Amino acid sequence: MAEVKCFIPQTLEEALEIRKEYHSIPLAGGSDLMVAGSRGAGITPAFKGDSVVLIGNLKELKGIKENADGSVEIGACTTSAEIAASPIVHPLLKDAASRMGAIALRNSATIGGNIGNASPKGDMPQPLILLDAEVVLQSKDGERRMLVDEYIIATKKTAIHDDELITKVIIPKHDFTHIFFRKIGMRRANAISKLTLSSAAIIKDGVVVDFRASSGAAGPKVARSRKAEEMLIGKKVEELESVKESFLDAWNDVIAPHAMPEYRRNTTRRMLSYFIDALIAGHGAGRVE
Amino acid sequence: MPVTKIDDKIIRVDAVQKARGEAKYVCDMTLPDMQYAYMVRSTCPRGKIKAIHLPEFPEGYYFISAKDIPAKGKNELWMIMKDWRCFADEYVLYVGETIGLVVGPDRTVLKDLKAQITVDYEEQTPACSIDDGINCVGGPMFPEKNSNVMCELFCEKGRPMDEVFAEADEVFEETIETPYQEHVHLETNSAIADMEDGKFVFYASAQCPFYIRKSIAGLLDIPYDDIIVRQCTTGGAFGGKEHFPDVICGALLVAENKIHKPIKMVFDREEDTQFSVKRHPSKCIYKTAIKDGKITGVWGHIYYNCGAYLSSSYVVLQRGVFHGNGVYTFDNTYLKGEGIGTNMFPSCAFRGFGAPQTLFAIETHLDHLAHHLGVDPLAFKMQYLAKKGDETTTNGHIIEDVKLPEMLEVITRESDYWRKVKEYTPGCGKGIGIALYNHGGAFTGNGEQAIIKGHARLVRTGDKVSIQVGSTEMGQGFKTSLRKICAATLGISIDNIEYLDPDTSKVVDSGPTAASRSTMVVGRLVERAALEMKERWDEGDITTEVEYEHPDGYPWDQATFRGDAYLGYGWGVACVEVEADKLTNEIKTVGVWSSHEIGKAIDELIVHGQINGGIMQSLGYGSMEKLEVKNGRFKQKSMSDYVIPTSMDFPKQFYHIQENPYPWGPYGAKGMGELVFNGASAAYVDAVERALGTQFNSIPIPPEDIEEALKNVH
Repeated sequence: MAEVKCFIPQTLEEALEIRKEYHSIPLAGGSDLMVAGSRGAGITPAFKGDSVVLIGNLKELKGIKENADGSVEIGACTTSAEIAASPIVHPLLKDAASRMGAIALRNSATIGGNIGNASPKGDMPQPLILLDAEVVLQSKDGERRMLVDEYIIATKKTAIHDDELITKVIIPKHDFTHIFFRKIGMRRANAISKLTLSSAAIIKDGVVVDFRASSGAAGPKVARSRKAEEMLIGKKVEELESVKESFLDAWNDVIAPHAMPEYRRNTTRRMLSYFIDALIAGHGAGRVE
Repeated sequence: MPVTKIDDKIIRVDAVQKARGEAKYVCDMTLPDMQYAYMVRSTCPRGKIKAIHLPEFPEGYYFISAKDIPAKGKNELWMIMKDWRCFADEYVLYVGETIGLVVGPDRTVLKDLKAQITVDYEEQTPACSIDDGINCVGGPMFPEKNSNVMCELFCEKGRPMDEVFAEADEVFEETIETPYQEHVHLETNSAIADMEDGKFVFYASAQCPFYIRKSIAGLLDIPYDDIIVRQCTTGGAFGGKEHFPDVICGALLVAENKIHKPIKMVFDREEDTQFSVKRHPSKCIYKTAIKDGKITGVWGHIYYNCGAYLSSSYVVLQRGVFHGNGVYTFDNTYLKGEGIGTNMFPSCAFRGFGAPQTLFAIETHLDHLAHHLGVDPLAFKMQYLAKKGDETTTNGHIIEDVKLPEMLEVITRESDYWRKVKEYTPGCGKGIGIALYNHGGAFTGNGEQAIIKGHARLVRTGDKVSIQVGSTEMGQGFKTSLRKICAATLGISIDNIEYLDPDTSKVVDSGPTAASRSTMVVGRLVERAALEMKERWDEGDITTEVEYEHPDGYPWDQATFRGDAYLGYGWGVACVEVEADKLTNEIKTVGVWSSHEIGKAIDELIVHGQINGGIMQSLGYGSMEKLEVKNGRFKQKSMSDYVIPTSMDFPKQFYHIQENPYPWGPYGAKGMGELVFNGASAAYVDAVERALGTQFNSIPIPPEDIEEALKNVH
């Protein structure tokens, strides 16, 4: 009979010891793992290993705070609902968190789980990658920091070691003048993403000081290309028109949608074009709707 | 206690219990020494079973298959025909066909045993789509006919169509297709088999307890009375639990006969999505003759994908054909229907029962024709509205006053339709659409008399009266409606009326809970039984029982499908307004207006709920519910990839109820549960077409399909 050993540590220290000794699968909100492992009603779920460690209630992994340098630190077990309600979290991440699943799911799903699950359709990695957010990985032996973009290697594949836990996510401070966010789901609420896009820019004295974009659900992982972004950075706003098409072509090469490729490519192109057009047209600072 | 009046707005009798999670479903029941069962299903869409390899079963665990059917029994389930096998034996006809059950006390052990069972097939080429079936891909399913046609019929009216076509200025031809649809009842399929005093007892989530008895008794060759079916709280059905519980209970009966312990089977959502009956996909070819700008005749060829077994398909197809001209009267018509056998999970009943497919097709076809002629679709269609006394496509007559003109006035006023159609130019991103529809109440023709012969019984004990019928509550509100009819007729309080979930050993057979017949037919039976009881109230604790009586003067010939197909129709108008997002092709619905003529609303709150729900389900069907087939398998497997609308997708709806008392229904009521599904999808597509200046010949139309359609515009 299949059994799953379930550890319930009281502190992060204990959790890290369990990870080191048993390499147990970390389970926080459970909204991905319990579905993936379900074998039906009345049957113990099947996980990849033979044990899980419940980390969802560890105080050390919860909460949102602002650091002195203006960066924001989010504990790995902070829920989507808490992120969506926070006044200090970047609006692009709040957008993504607030559109994730249904209310019940947002009350249990965590940011650490959403990153750790590494689904290309995951809601939060997409803005996190745009924001150059970093994950902090902790083990008994120390701490590593890396960009979310580097942490997620491919679909369901990450850089985590089997003795580590994601403890927090750090989002650097940004002063974007313009932002754009769209999630296209299969319906208006409680939907897995069909396609998502975040884009952001800093326009200062008529010059594009920063420009970024990230595409979710458009390939095996969230797509971002600094090379393509650089085609626009440093340009004067009036020069954008002349480089727009080559940027859009470059971005089209960055995304790699498997299903409905035409829809995902064309829609991504239309959305980016729309955002750039708004910049060209001198859209006031703020969100481009 | 106050006397209940028919127009009182009352709280549903099952609302509090269900909202608080206190209602007990099959899944919640655990009997002593409970055993569990899982289905072992075919993974091959068409082929011969060469071998079934079983692991060693521990003591107390069983593999049940066709071999366990006793010699005197037959491996068949009786629906319309007896073609559906309880267990596949020697060959399989579709993915998901039951090959056997694993039964035993521990579900983890059972899942492990099930995972170790392997079946060797000699695979054959399956026919999955309607076109595959028409072309007999992989060889004909019925070699004696050299075809895959499982059932067929036609009806005609007026002059021969070749003459009409020859005289026409133009013949406008189109093919319109509708997809599979999954019921997504909140509660998945489930049943428990047990024994009591030598009889087989079933606890089932089901619409039609008496159907189960009839369908499965032949497996053991036992009398119906040796099987007792107790319906349990049923969390939604929509037709998905009309015949399909037979498939579950049949297999459980064979297991029960061998094991003699309570056995429970509850489908997971993924099983329910992939391995249960669905709405029939359709392909409708319409050819419409035009002379001097007017329609002179409509020719239709209607194909339904029936899957591997007939189940209810022949009756579904009939209803589809009979609704094939929508709410219109055309002088000359010819409508042919063919039910195509394929290697797919059998299609079966789903709210609307064949009518939504052809109603969608004819509405959309007439919209396209109007655009082609350069006239407003509604103005165009209004010229042909059926009226009382008009000859129907089955050579019967419209018996009632048709109130569509009055209903259209309300809807065009409330939605501001005429202003908006002028203002929203094609392709401007905003659109408004409208659809008209109807639904024939109860069984076709004289089926209520010839086939069903429904009974209802009332039993009085002191000041309490118990309703004893086989009709079921499945979320539609019938317990409330029926108790209300009974109480209002007797002139007592609804609290003094008892109506328990039916037990086939205790109640009379009032016919299936299907075909929008419960209020209209069973409600009337209960009204009649109550009138008799009221008259004899002084006699004390009495029982009254009545049988269905068909009104004279409405002939129907079931052999030729001629005559009055339905004694009364419900009528509907739905109007939908949308805005298209040009960046993403997402469609936002900004307004929904509907009017329904249902004779009389027995309870306005329940009717309102049915309208909201039916229209939502129809809008989901038209817009987003995508169920695709790959190699005989449904690609969408769960509620995260088969999406149904939430309350966020569609706005608050305006609704209007048109009264038009029906002489043979209780208090003038007609059927309405299916009517409200039949038209909103066509109104939605009409609105989207106008907003985008494009045309769709199939549904659903999610953003990626709109992307595709727009390629043809620019």
